[in-house]
Amino acid sequence: MNLYEIVFYFFAIVTVGSAAVVVFSRNIIYSAFSLLFTFFGVAGLYVLLNADFLAVTQLLIYVGGILVLLLFGVMLTSNTISVELKTGTLHILPATILVALLVGLLTATFWTADWFMSKRASDIAAQTTSKEIGDALVTTHLLPFEIASIILLVAIVGAAMMARRENPKSQIPI
Amino acid sequence: MPEIILNNLNFILPELVLTATVLVIIVAYLTNRKDETIVYYLSLVGLVITLYALTGKVGENLSAFDGMLSIDPFSLFFKIVIVFSTIVVVIMSQHSDEVKSEKNLQGEYYFLVLSMAIGMMFMVGASNLLMMYLALEFSSLTSYVASGFTRKAKDSSEASLKYLLYGAFSSGVMLYGISILYGLTGTLSIAGINQVLMQGSVNSLALLISSLFILVGFAYKISAVPFHYWTPDVYEGAPITITAFLSVASKAAGFAMMMRAFKVMFVDSSLVTLPVGAWGFVNGIHLQQVLIVLSVLTMTLGNLVALWQDNLKRMLAYSSIAQAGYMLLGVLVLGNDGTAAVMIYFVVYLFMNLGAFYVVMLFANKIGSEHIDSYKGLGRKSPLLSVALAVFLISLTGLPPTAGFVGKWMIFLSLINAKMIGVAVIGVINSVISLYYYVRVIRNMFLRDEERMSDETFKFPLAQQILLVSLLIPTLYFGLFFNELVEFAQFSVTMFGVK
Amino acid sequence: MQAYIPIFLMIGVGLFLGITFLTLQRFLGPHRPNPEKLSTYESGMPPVRTARERFSVKYYMVAVLFILFDIEVIFLYPWAVNFRALGVFGYIEMILFILILLIGYIYILKKGALQWD
Repeated sequence: MNLYEIVFYFFAIVTVGSAAVVVFSRNIIYSAFSLLFTFFGVAGLYVLLNADFLAVTQLLIYVGGILVLLLFGVMLTSNTISVELKTGTLHILPATILVALLVGLLTATFWTADWFMSKRASDIAAQTTSKEIGDALVTTHLLPFEIASIILLVAIVGAAMMARRENPKSQIPI
Repeated sequence: MPEIILNNLNFILPELVLTATVLVIIVAYLTNRKDETIVYYLSLVGLVITLYALTGKVGENLSAFDGMLSIDPFSLFFKIVIVFSTIVVVIMSQHSDEVKSEKNLQGEYYFLVLSMAIGMMFMVGASNLLMMYLALEFSSLTSYVASGFTRKAKDSSEASLKYLLYGAFSSGVMLYGISILYGLTGTLSIAGINQVLMQGSVNSLALLISSLFILVGFAYKISAVPFHYWTPDVYEGAPITITAFLSVASKAAGFAMMMRAFKVMFVDSSLVTLPVGAWGFVNGIHLQQVLIVLSVLTMTLGNLVALWQDNLKRMLAYSSIAQAGYMLLGVLVLGNDGTAAVMIYFVVYLFMNLGAFYVVMLFANKIGSEHIDSYKGLGRKSPLLSVALAVFLISLTGLPPTAGFVGKWMIFLSLINAKMIGVAVIGVINSVISLYYYVRVIRNMFLRDEERMSDETFKFPLAQQILLVSLLIPTLYFGLFFNELVEFAQFSVTMFGVK
Repeated sequence: MQAYIPIFLMIGVGLFLGITFLTLQRFLGPHRPNPEKLSTYESGMPPVRTARERFSVKYYMVAVLFILFDIEVIFLYPWAVNFRALGVFGYIEMILFILILLIGYIYILKKGALQWD
């Protein structure tokens, strides 16, 4: 086992183990905090894959943003701390069959498929991706990039609209 | 590089106009605090200019932004359908008490409706999986917010949340399928994927899994069974104008994107034994069988459940699920005549379905109810409204001499040409079933009297009557004079990069 | 991969130190708990009701907006890395991107979504 594999298995165990805690924990706060390690482990895996931009994104958006939002979401709702979550399985037999089928199919897919390997020398030698992504954003992927800004605008307006106050009297007229 | 991009901007001129309109709406809304109707007029002006810009794109068949978008007759046809239905929905909204009752939110409302239209316009043109996913999320995200627009109704927030959860799940599955396909082929361009698939070196199990996963995303957008669970609740809970918009434009965009993805990505261009206009999937894609199952399930379940609905909005929701099933029939024949039939159906569906929702909305404005019992005696109270609703419902059933008949006729014709008689028979049986619940409404309007008789008659302003009649006339007109529509649809089946 | 070795080392050392000290104090220090010691404030007022209160939805609004602008920053990052090579045209594209989001920001301010009362 070389260093690369040790690091890989470390992050893989962190990711899968903490994801299991997220799913099986009966305390929603534990679940939320465990998700931190899942996100972190995934970021580590991205680093191993030389996807440095994705790793930064993962840390900034998921660990720094989504998780905080999730914790806020837990704190905003009343009675979540005292209430036990029902994480028991409901329809055991159909669920088992479905999951087994899906796992089997996906595993078979990953073993048998000939995955595409880039033959471009620049791709193989690449150590960082940020520059190339920056280049793609303003040339070949310009349209998706600018559409993303409109989507974000819609999200901003939508968020402000959804979280507006219930009481019409305290509402500030624009 | 700048010159190429500036040149490309010209190709998406209609989308740019609409985007500019959206930005102007927000700015005008923020600067002009007193007059809330200004956003309505701005939206209308923007949409009309967009429609005009679209007419300048007739006959263009090219690829823009490094293969991200296809500007071709196929996308143009659907863009016209989308923009036209947006115009109708915007005018409808101005007549809706439900929408108007939300003071301080008029700007957001029109902003969301127009943004949804932009997302849909990009959906129909997208020819790159990244762009497809982005456009799909764009229109979905706006739909989630828009369906939770009315804050007073508790159903509305519930609808929004349900829509979001189902949407997040299905688009996640779709994204997974896209990632597998990307891993197999190394490209996201649908034409590029086709090239790799044609070499035949791709593992068929992986291909099957990824194509099925991608289908989940499409099936959710067009609300095909078993991915329809969100539809009844969202359609019932959302403001009725948004429901009408989702049932027509959103569905049209979903269908267009699905047809383009399947035809460009999975077509086997080496098949020469097929008749003219027909095409087949590459080895390893078994989507035709899957589509047959989806389509039969969708129309049967939609129609059977619609039989039990007493809320008209909910009934129309199930009816629109069933209509998606009929349209899937046109997709699964894998041929140009099937594609053209779906396109014709969408034009027809635009008028009849928006019309039906408009009547339900006008009636809800007066009565505040969408229950089928409250329609008793409507034929006497407002002859125009009830005759119009009757025509729309007959058209939705698919009976002559309405446009709905032409739409269904073209779809069944394409099925018979493709020698799929069995599926066509199931479709016809379903149309007969649907007659029952549509006629129930008509019977209530004309043959049943309400418990407490009153001589009250409903008066509607001229503007509302004009919109109603202008939806009614095409529903009848296309039932009799459909040649031009059929020709335009047959001309518009051309997609960029496909023979 | 080579460039990340210091970071991995940092993570390793951090984990090692934290775990070691926590275990050491458990074994080395005296451990004689009593109710007085375990109370929240050993020499203060006895606490009334739980400290876990429901948060106001206003925090949520701020958090959502934070994420949205966080995503904007993420888009800025690869552009900034390559700023000179992308030239004036890249600059204009980025300005357009930011301007569209600026409209969203003005919307929030005008709509009073960030006002605390």
